[in-house]
Amino acid sequence: MRKTVYVGMSGGVDSSVTAMLLAEQGYKVVGVYMKNWSKDLPGMKCPWAEDLADAKRVAVKLGIPFEVWDFEKEYHDKVVEYMLDEFKKGNTPNPDIMCNQEIKFKLFYEKAMAAGADYIATGHYAQVKDGKLLRAKDENKDQTYFLYRISDEALKHTLFPIGDMLKPEVKKLAAEHGLHNAYKKESMGVCFVGEVGMKDFLKEYIDIEPGEIREIETDRVLGYHEGAVFYTIGQRHGLYLSGVAGEVNDGMPYYVVKKDIPQNIVYVSKNLNHKAIWTNKLCLKDVFLRLGAFRSAAARDLAPAARGDGPAGRGPERRETSLLVRLRHRAPLVPATFDGETLHFENEIKRPASGQSAVLYDGEICLGGGIIK
Amino acid sequence: MIYLDHAAATPVSDKVLEAMKPYFGAEFFNPSAAYLPAKKVSADYEAAKGVIAHAIGAKTSDLIITAGATEANNLAFTCLSLDGSMLYLETEHDSVRRAAEAYGGEAIKALPTGLIDLDDLKSKITDETELISVSLANNELGTIQPLAEIAGIIRDVKFDRLKRGIKRPLLLHSDASQALNLLDISVARLGVDLLTLNAAKVYGPKGVGALYVAHGVKLKPLTVGGGQENGLRSGTENVPGVIGFAKAVELAKEHLNGNRKKYANWRKLLLSELKDYELVNKKHSLDNFVVLMFEGLDAERLIYLLEEKEVYVATGAACAASKGKKSHVLKAIGLTDAQIAGSLRLTMGETNTEEQIKEAARIINEIVKAEKERLKNA
Repeated sequence: MRKTVYVGMSGGVDSSVTAMLLAEQGYKVVGVYMKNWSKDLPGMKCPWAEDLADAKRVAVKLGIPFEVWDFEKEYHDKVVEYMLDEFKKGNTPNPDIMCNQEIKFKLFYEKAMAAGADYIATGHYAQVKDGKLLRAKDENKDQTYFLYRISDEALKHTLFPIGDMLKPEVKKLAAEHGLHNAYKKESMGVCFVGEVGMKDFLKEYIDIEPGEIREIETDRVLGYHEGAVFYTIGQRHGLYLSGVAGEVNDGMPYYVVKKDIPQNIVYVSKNLNHKAIWTNKLCLKDVFLRLGAFRSAAARDLAPAARGDGPAGRGPERRETSLLVRLRHRAPLVPATFDGETLHFENEIKRPASGQSAVLYDGEICLGGGIIK
Repeated sequence: MIYLDHAAATPVSDKVLEAMKPYFGAEFFNPSAAYLPAKKVSADYEAAKGVIAHAIGAKTSDLIITAGATEANNLAFTCLSLDGSMLYLETEHDSVRRAAEAYGGEAIKALPTGLIDLDDLKSKITDETELISVSLANNELGTIQPLAEIAGIIRDVKFDRLKRGIKRPLLLHSDASQALNLLDISVARLGVDLLTLNAAKVYGPKGVGALYVAHGVKLKPLTVGGGQENGLRSGTENVPGVIGFAKAVELAKEHLNGNRKKYANWRKLLLSELKDYELVNKKHSLDNFVVLMFEGLDAERLIYLLEEKEVYVATGAACAASKGKKSHVLKAIGLTDAQIAGSLRLTMGETNTEEQIKEAARIINEIVKAEKERLKNA
C-alpha cells in the first residue's frame, strides 16, 4: 500500500523539491503550509502570503492535495514568548531550534500522524539513518544545528529527501521540473519576520531603557545605550560612545564583554583577549542527548583508568566523551570532550553568547546538544 | 527655446520614457495579482525600487513610494507622537512648511548665506523635540545644508537624553528633491532618518516620489486600503512611474560627476557674461542654481519680457510665484522687498548647451538694459 507523507511546504525551493521527489517516489503526498507568523512590522512586510502562494502553486503543479495549518497562536506562545523571555534575561536564544522542537517536529508531526500520515517530511538539509540524525551531504547547508532537539519519536517518522543532495542540484532539479521558485531568494534575518534585524524586531516588543556603557577595566562610563538586552557579548557595532572623545577614542573598537541585566549596564573592552571573550570550557543546560547515538559514542571512548564511570549510579553519558562541537550554524566543527554538563576544548574558543546552542557530533552523527549557560 | 527652470520641472529623458513604455502596454498587470506574469511585474517593480534605494545607500524595504515629494514630506511628519514637537528650517519648500505648521512646528532661522543657523537650532531643541526637517538643497537658492553636522548635533542631544533616561526619539528628515542628480547622496553619511526624493526633478516622470524610512522609525499611513508600500501608502503601484524613476536615478548616477563640472563651468560663464547684477547665492550652492538680483527692477516683468524671446526663468518656487506671494526664502536671508522683487532664479539642466548659456546672458543683458532705459524715461 502507498505510504502517506505530509510535507511541510514553505514556498521555498527546498521544500518544493522535497514534495516533488516524494511524489515521484510513489508516496501519497499531502502538502501543508504552516502559518506561524503573518504580522507586518514597520518597514518590513511579512512575506507569508507570497510564500503561501508559492507553496500552493507548486502543490497544484505537482497535483498533490494542499492544506494550510494555522499554528500562529502556538508559535507565538512557544517560540516568540520564549525568545523574548530569554532576551529579557540577557540571553541570545535561537528561535529556529525552538520552532523545530515545538512546532514542526511536534505539533505538525502530531497533527499529521493523527490525520493518517506514515511519515512527515521537510526540506531540511539533514539525513536520517537507522533512527539517527546525520549531517547533510552538503556541508555548507547542513541544518542539523537547528534539528538537534527534535524527538527520537518524530525522527523515526521523518524523511529528509534532499539531505543527500547539494543545494545547486536541488535548484537545478527544480528548474528542470519547471518549478517557478527554483531560483527564489532565500529568506534572511529573523526567519519568521523576513529581512529585519533582531534588534529592530526586539524593539517592537521590548521598551528601550537607557543605561550606562562602562569600560570593564576602569569602570569608567563611556556612553549610554538603549537597553542591555539589545546587546550581545562580543558585539562591536552599534555601540554609542560619545562625550569622552579623544582620550578613549583612539580608533580601536570596543567589544561588549559583559552585561549586567539587573543594573542595565553594558561593559565593554578594547582588549580582544579579554577573558570574557575567550574560553576553553562551556557549561550547558537543558542538555538534550540523542541517547542511542550518544551511548555508542561514549562506550567507544570508555577508557577505564583515566575517566572511569564517574559517580556511581550515573549512566555512561556522564563520562568524558570525545566528540565534535558546532557552536553556530555553519561554524566549523571543533573537537572537545563532554561530561554531560561541561564541554572542554583543547584550544580556546571565542565564547558564544549564552542562550545559543552547542551541538554535539560523533563523526556524521548528531548526538544532541545543549544551551550554553 | 532656452529653458532655465530645471528646478521647477525637467523633461522626461528618452531613455526613461523607453524604459517606462512596456509597463503601459504588455506589462500592464497589477503587481498584486496572483499569476506569474503579474509576479514578474511585481519583481520588476521591486527591482526598480532597489535601484533607487541603492542610489542613496538604502535597502529596498526602506523605501516608500509616493505620488511625489509633497506627499513624501507629509508622510514623513506622521512620525511625530501626539505630544512631540518638530523644528524646520524657515527656508523650506511649502510642502514642508505648511505640513510642519499643521503639526505646530517651529521655524529655525537661516543665515544670510542661506545656511541653517546651527546656534538657533541648538537653542530651539527641547526634550519634546522629535523631528528636525532641513532640506538637503534649497529649492530657491540651491543652498546645500550641512546635514551631517546637524546629525552630529542630534547625536549629542540623543546622547544627553539617554544619559538623563529620556526615551523620546529625535529624528532628522531632509527633502532631497533638488539634489538627487547633483550630489552623491548616502543616508548613512548624511545621518538622516527620513529622506524625500522626487522623480520629476531628475528627468523622471511627474507624480512619483519616495520617502526613505530608516529602520525603527514608525509612520502612520495617510491613505489606507490594500496595504501596499509596507502598509504606509495603499493604492495600486505606479509601476511605469517607478520604473522610470529608477532609470532616471541610474542615468543621474552615471553622469553625476560630468554634470557637476559642466554646470560649474556654465555658472562661471553665465556670471562672467552677465552685467549689472548682484549674485544672491554666492556660496554653498548647487552648481546649476544662479539667483540674480537686479535691484530696482521688477523680476516678474523680466520673466514676461524673456518669455517673448523664448527664454524661461523663474522668480522663486513656481508654486509660490503662481500665487503672487513674495519669496519667504529671500526674505529669510535678509533681502528687502525691493531686492526680492528684483530677483530671478535660473536653474540650468540637461536641455541646455553652452551656446544657450551665452545666448541667455546676451538676451538678459539686453532686456535688463531696456528695462533700465524705460524706467529712466518714465
